[in-house]
Amino acid sequence: MNDLADYANQLLAGALVTIELALTSLLFGLLLGLAAAWAKLAPSPWLRHPVTLLSNVLRGIPEFLIILIFYFGLSNFLADHFDGAIEISPFFGGVFALSIIFAAYSSEVFRGAFLEVGRGQLEAGQAYGLNRFQLFCFIRLPLAWRTALPSLNNMWQSLLKDTSLISVVGLEDMLRKAQIGAQYTKQPFLFYAAVALVYLLLLAASNPLFGALEKSANKGFR
Amino acid sequence: MSDGNSREVLRVEDLHKSFGGIEILKGITLAAKPHDVISILGSSGSGKSTFLRCINFLETPDCGRISVNGEQIRLRQDGKRGAFVAEDPAQIVKMRRKLAMVFQQFNLWAHMTVLQNVMFAPMRVLKIDKKDAELTALAMLEKVGLAEKRHHYPSQLSGGQQQRVAIARALAMEPDVMLFDEPTSALDPELVGEVLKVMRALAEDGRTMLVVTHEMGFAREVASRVVFLHQGRVEEDGTPDEVFASQKSPRFQKFLSSMSNK
Repeated sequence: MNDLADYANQLLAGALVTIELALTSLLFGLLLGLAAAWAKLAPSPWLRHPVTLLSNVLRGIPEFLIILIFYFGLSNFLADHFDGAIEISPFFGGVFALSIIFAAYSSEVFRGAFLEVGRGQLEAGQAYGLNRFQLFCFIRLPLAWRTALPSLNNMWQSLLKDTSLISVVGLEDMLRKAQIGAQYTKQPFLFYAAVALVYLLLLAASNPLFGALEKSANKGFR
Repeated sequence: MSDGNSREVLRVEDLHKSFGGIEILKGITLAAKPHDVISILGSSGSGKSTFLRCINFLETPDCGRISVNGEQIRLRQDGKRGAFVAEDPAQIVKMRRKLAMVFQQFNLWAHMTVLQNVMFAPMRVLKIDKKDAELTALAMLEKVGLAEKRHHYPSQLSGGQQQRVAIARALAMEPDVMLFDEPTSALDPELVGEVLKVMRALAEDGRTMLVVTHEMGFAREVASRVVFLHQGRVEEDGTPDEVFASQKSPRFQKFLSSMSNK
């Protein structure tokens, strides 16, 4: 147990990286997912088809592979074309890969949720002179948000766990720190069990948050 | 009700609309002066709802002219599909502020409270500040008898109450013309009365109203004019006394007898 205490600071630092990575990817993943959902519902086929295809391709490839392709592929590409002037940090690479994975899935969730918003609610907005932006922000999005939340909660859980995959590209997240500790102390079970517990705790802490969000989104619905 | 020399608040001329090659409106002309209460009658499929929806461009008419307060909505032909679109979308938005619509299915915003529903468009569209919007909203809710329900959500109200809130929402825009699209058709019979009572009071206040309805009592007693549509054309147009007494068109007679059988 003392071995674990020796590494406590290291593990904590790793946990912070994990949380930062997860939250940043969530933010960009949500924004990208919304934009992609909008594109999938756009009247123009030039917008609709490529985005739908891209999201289907991304959802058809294992997350781990996407991270490898994007990180090493992008690194090599930039090295070849910019002579190492631009380098991708593992954190940036991780945010990039996890965001587009999150976006690929959440765009489907948002698309379904947008379609479920009743036509009448939107027509009332139109008839009262709202412009398209107001209609989206104040009517369509809040109503779709409610439908999307339970699925988003699920996806957030996957995202938080998928951050551990980024350790393969050298990011010193919680799992990577645990690996290091396990190697040096020769106590893999202890270290891996400890971080497993932290992942569980993080998710347990986010559950009430989603519960509160769902409760507030469900006001007015029975 | 209408004094002869006053201006027209709404003028619709030669309105046409087709869906999938079937012509629903075959050239409808109608003008409303201030304080007019015009009941639009017709069996289902006569085009009466489409007509109302064309007036505030929830459906875009294929051709025709619409003017609100003397300002004509400019349309242009969309190159690709040949359909008419507004030349200036901002003009449509501006015009819609003057025409408040009450829907058959109420269409209150489910995620907002009663008060928020009534305040929302005045704040966001008319840019009235929050305090004033709230005062107006409360006054309008008072008018429809639902001020005490202001913190409820639409789903917590009966259909009749929801429709009265929808009327308050329309009133809060201080519209020049109120458009009612079968406002009582989705209600249980015992809830129809409370909504009609509110509409009757509005008519007595001198509101200009276009009411698509199946309520013959309202058309007879409250309306200043009755228009009967049949297959996309105006078949009867006059004061309730004239229209109901003369029943010139056989189709109107048939329509009336089918309504009285209900």
